[in-house]
Amino acid sequence: MSQRKNRFLYDFFRDPAAILGAAIMIVFTAAALLAPLIAPHDPYDLKTVELGDSLKPPAWEEDGDPEFLLGTDDQGRDILSTIIYGLRTSLTVGFSVMLLAGTFGVIIGLLAGYYGGILDAVTMRTADTVFAFSTTLLAILFLGLFKQSGVGIVILAICIADWVRYARTMRASVLEVREEAYITAAKATGANDFHLLLIHLLPNALPPIFVIMAVDLAAIIMLEATLSFLGVGVPITKPSLGMMIASGKNYIYAGNWWLIVFPGATLVLFVLGLNLLADWLREELNPRIQRSR
Amino acid sequence: MRIKTVISCIGLILALCGGFIAAEPSFAAPALVVAVESAPRSMNPHSENGDATLGPMTNIFDGLMQRQKSDGKIVPALAEKYEHPDPLTWKFYLRKGVKFHNGNPFTAADVKYTFERLTNPEVSQFVNDGKAIASIETPDDYTVIVKTKDPIPWFIDNMHQVFIMDKESSESRSEGDIGVAPIGTGAYKVTEYVKGSHLKLEANPNYWEGAPPIKNVEMKFITEPSTRFAALASGQAELINGVPVELIDKVKENKNLEVMRRPARRAIFLVVTNRPGTPTADPRVRKAMSMAINEDEIIKKLMRGQASAASQMVDPPTVGYSPDIKRLAYNPQEALKLLKEAGLEKGFEITLAGPNDRYVMDKQICEAVAKYLAKVGIKVNLDVKPKSIYFTEVMENKHDFYMMGWFDGTYSGARTFFRHLHSIDKNAGYGDWNGSRSSDKDIDQVLEKTNQIVDKTQYVKTLQEANKMAMERVRVIPLHYQMDLYAVAKKNGLQFTPRPDQWFVFKDMSKK
Amino acid sequence: MLTYLTRRLIQGVIVLLAVSFVCFIIFRYMGDPVISMAGQYATAAERDEIRKIFGLDQPPYVQYWRFLTNALRGNFGISYETRLPALGLIVERIPASAELAASAMVFAFTVGVGLGVLVSANPRAWLSRAVMAGSLGGISIPTFLIGIVLIMVFAVQLGILPPFGRGETVKLGNWWSTNFLSLDGLEHLILPAFTLGMYQLAVLLRLTRSGMREVLTTEYIKTAWAKGLSPARVVFKHALRNVLIPVVTVAGLQFGDLIAFSLVTETIFQWPGLGNLLLTSLYESDQPVIVTYISLVAVFILTINIIVDLLYALLNPKIRYG
Repeated sequence: MSQRKNRFLYDFFRDPAAILGAAIMIVFTAAALLAPLIAPHDPYDLKTVELGDSLKPPAWEEDGDPEFLLGTDDQGRDILSTIIYGLRTSLTVGFSVMLLAGTFGVIIGLLAGYYGGILDAVTMRTADTVFAFSTTLLAILFLGLFKQSGVGIVILAICIADWVRYARTMRASVLEVREEAYITAAKATGANDFHLLLIHLLPNALPPIFVIMAVDLAAIIMLEATLSFLGVGVPITKPSLGMMIASGKNYIYAGNWWLIVFPGATLVLFVLGLNLLADWLREELNPRIQRSR
Repeated sequence: MRIKTVISCIGLILALCGGFIAAEPSFAAPALVVAVESAPRSMNPHSENGDATLGPMTNIFDGLMQRQKSDGKIVPALAEKYEHPDPLTWKFYLRKGVKFHNGNPFTAADVKYTFERLTNPEVSQFVNDGKAIASIETPDDYTVIVKTKDPIPWFIDNMHQVFIMDKESSESRSEGDIGVAPIGTGAYKVTEYVKGSHLKLEANPNYWEGAPPIKNVEMKFITEPSTRFAALASGQAELINGVPVELIDKVKENKNLEVMRRPARRAIFLVVTNRPGTPTADPRVRKAMSMAINEDEIIKKLMRGQASAASQMVDPPTVGYSPDIKRLAYNPQEALKLLKEAGLEKGFEITLAGPNDRYVMDKQICEAVAKYLAKVGIKVNLDVKPKSIYFTEVMENKHDFYMMGWFDGTYSGARTFFRHLHSIDKNAGYGDWNGSRSSDKDIDQVLEKTNQIVDKTQYVKTLQEANKMAMERVRVIPLHYQMDLYAVAKKNGLQFTPRPDQWFVFKDMSKK
Repeated sequence: MLTYLTRRLIQGVIVLLAVSFVCFIIFRYMGDPVISMAGQYATAAERDEIRKIFGLDQPPYVQYWRFLTNALRGNFGISYETRLPALGLIVERIPASAELAASAMVFAFTVGVGLGVLVSANPRAWLSRAVMAGSLGGISIPTFLIGIVLIMVFAVQLGILPPFGRGETVKLGNWWSTNFLSLDGLEHLILPAFTLGMYQLAVLLRLTRSGMREVLTTEYIKTAWAKGLSPARVVFKHALRNVLIPVVTVAGLQFGDLIAFSLVTETIFQWPGLGNLLLTSLYESDQPVIVTYISLVAVFILTINIIVDLLYALLNPKIRYG
């Protein structure tokens, strides 16, 4: 086990892309967690935001104000702070969905793969259908129809479709390991189902799930931004990168480029970091590719 | 192999030729392209009692009356003249020799048909107006006598927007067809209509006022403000309405463009409940809230100067507007004092609801109001959502503090006051828009008095009195009147004057 | 095969019923359409009358049943907003959306698969590495941001491409209007098609590359090399053919994504297509249009899925459907 771990770390530090991805993720996550400490302003403390400060360009531009490094939006909020707080919303949604949909999907996949039969048929047909409609489409439709906004509802809407990825992957892994010798052996010794599922099947079927998690986190963060951009995502009282870009869009002809460029770049960088990490994990954990190296 | 290639080549060429032959060019470039901010619901002229539909329709249809471009005065159109012999009777003498676009002559039967059609809520939003009519007589082809159930002094003021349809063709066509292929008497005929996208019009050479000077017009419906501006800036449109205030400086900078403004009729205000048990039941609290809001800054920073501060919920031309009412000045210290007097120096929590897709800068204004109130210790939770769900909630009395924009197309303040200020009375139809379930018996009494008053000056005075009472008691917090903003590309010499009703009437436009 | 098809069809019908039923359940949360139907001057009594006429006073299951029975006869109801048949409104928008989606897919497929092959043929070339890095960027930029950035650069800064709408279209036959036959129409197509195609392009490129990487190490490709066949022949004739099956399958299965992203693209570019219609209908709570749209999309996606499955079975004789 420890040898495997060493190998893992060794590979990681040899791959600059993986290091870059991890670095981006760590920096952004830390920024989001420490937002109240590091953000120069609290953009949602209404007492401190002044309409008089609205639409200031970044500090280095003419008319810029050193107090607002990346400029301000039309309400006079500091862009840099709003981005940092916006990352918080992205991460809240991202991790919540990942955990909720992931747990649910893994359990369903585990049960379906292990027991098979009707349970398997029904859940997998549902999964196929949900997959066909795509998470993005379902989330847009659900939120568009529901029209109530709130972080919780956004999380729920994304979960509705997102669990499928985990369930399908989990089921496939379970099917693969189910017939392996040690499982049959455990069965023969009379281990009960629960024990078998939890102790033997789950850990061995998990590696692909880690890959899915990294890819998924990136996808959810993009989706949250898209939903907020379309106006069906988080409420306007929550900072969100997607919403910042949406309101900045009204100003693209006015030349207030900083309203879009900074939140846009943050979003892309964050998702890119996650994808770099996911790519590396996929290669690292994919036995087939490894053999071919 | 080679034969196959040859055959498929020939096939491809034939298919392309076929495509080109079947293809008919959409028609010559229109002489005028305008980009407008909202699309008509359909080509059924009664499908919406709102300017988005009525504006385009006025070019295709005519009413018995029309409004003059200069001052909005009501003048004859399809009716040559009218008489109002008693409070219930309206007698119209119709213009002779007018023809619909399909060649059918315009007669009294068409007027009767149209008025009767108004009562059908499936196809009309003028049900109010249709049902107010008791009887319609047509003694001959060119005379119509309408009797109303109750006296309606503003009956004639509505006749410019009740567009007359052709009885014969309308009865024989399905509503689906009527909704896409209109047949009117208007100055323009429709050549192409794609719902929500564009409308192409062609001058009607046989128009009873003479053919209009601009021969072809295309209206593009572009709801997104910045895109509408882009259409103008890139020369794809020569005239736009609803210039986004975010871009107003950009338009002014551009030497090829000219901005035209006209005070809009819509007033934006915040409704605050006075229901007992709520913190805002105390008029001092409502007054404090009003004084805490820095409207001048909202106008300067959010509206970019394209609005004027309001002192009441109706605009100056409205019957019932009172010039005596003065706006409460911005004074946060005084507001804090008032809150202290009311025993709320520690502040309180309240939810402000508003739409985010209805009024100019609606969402931003709500956010700004929340900010100002936070500074006097009132914690405001924002509840901003799409208009379809927002207005439903207001009607369902879900909100105690909400944003509203309003004006009445007939210039009657009474209708506005009865809807918004009167206590809810389902049987009488009062308080339909009183979402905050506010109630003030004094104001109710004064308002109800107006129903009995025949004398016009006395009537106006009483309405103004009700208005004044409501504003003194801060039943609503008036914010501002919006500004109608147009931008025109200078190079083509387009002659255009903004109208009070915001309509684009193409027969009144010309090019140098 | 026949039993398999029947089973899929039955499943499809169940899904359709479920989807449309869920719509009716959620409709009650999406705002009262009657307020906008009756107009700002209507009284409460008039609103109630409209509610009755359109059957909106009935409980959801009654409304649902009525929708179902009517829909089976091809009547999808009248749009509340325009009072025109909902189906007609949707059919009218099909050409715009279909042309945009088709252009985007053709672009994504040719460039994506083409680059994927080139990259896997010379994996160590710096250009290949750049393309792969670019593809990672491609899947990391959300569609809406691509659209906005393209507008900022090509329409606002450079002013060379139109930022919205379909431009001049040419009518083909009765109802199809096309962008392809006028220069103006083609110009208008460039930015939205690029926006919509970008993400799919990156996905297809990566799929092709990873597929090629696996295939190129298999025995029969090694044999092909050993036989001294030209690289082009090995890559295109032997390898690509095997890679294309999963690529096409994935492309087919991602139709839901394509529809979702065209919704985003159409909003940004004010493209008069189905996605735009849906969003405005959502804002207006125009239930008949929404439920018709969703039902048709569901039929469409399910059909594509069945076709993809069947094709897959035909191309890959190892799979048997029982």
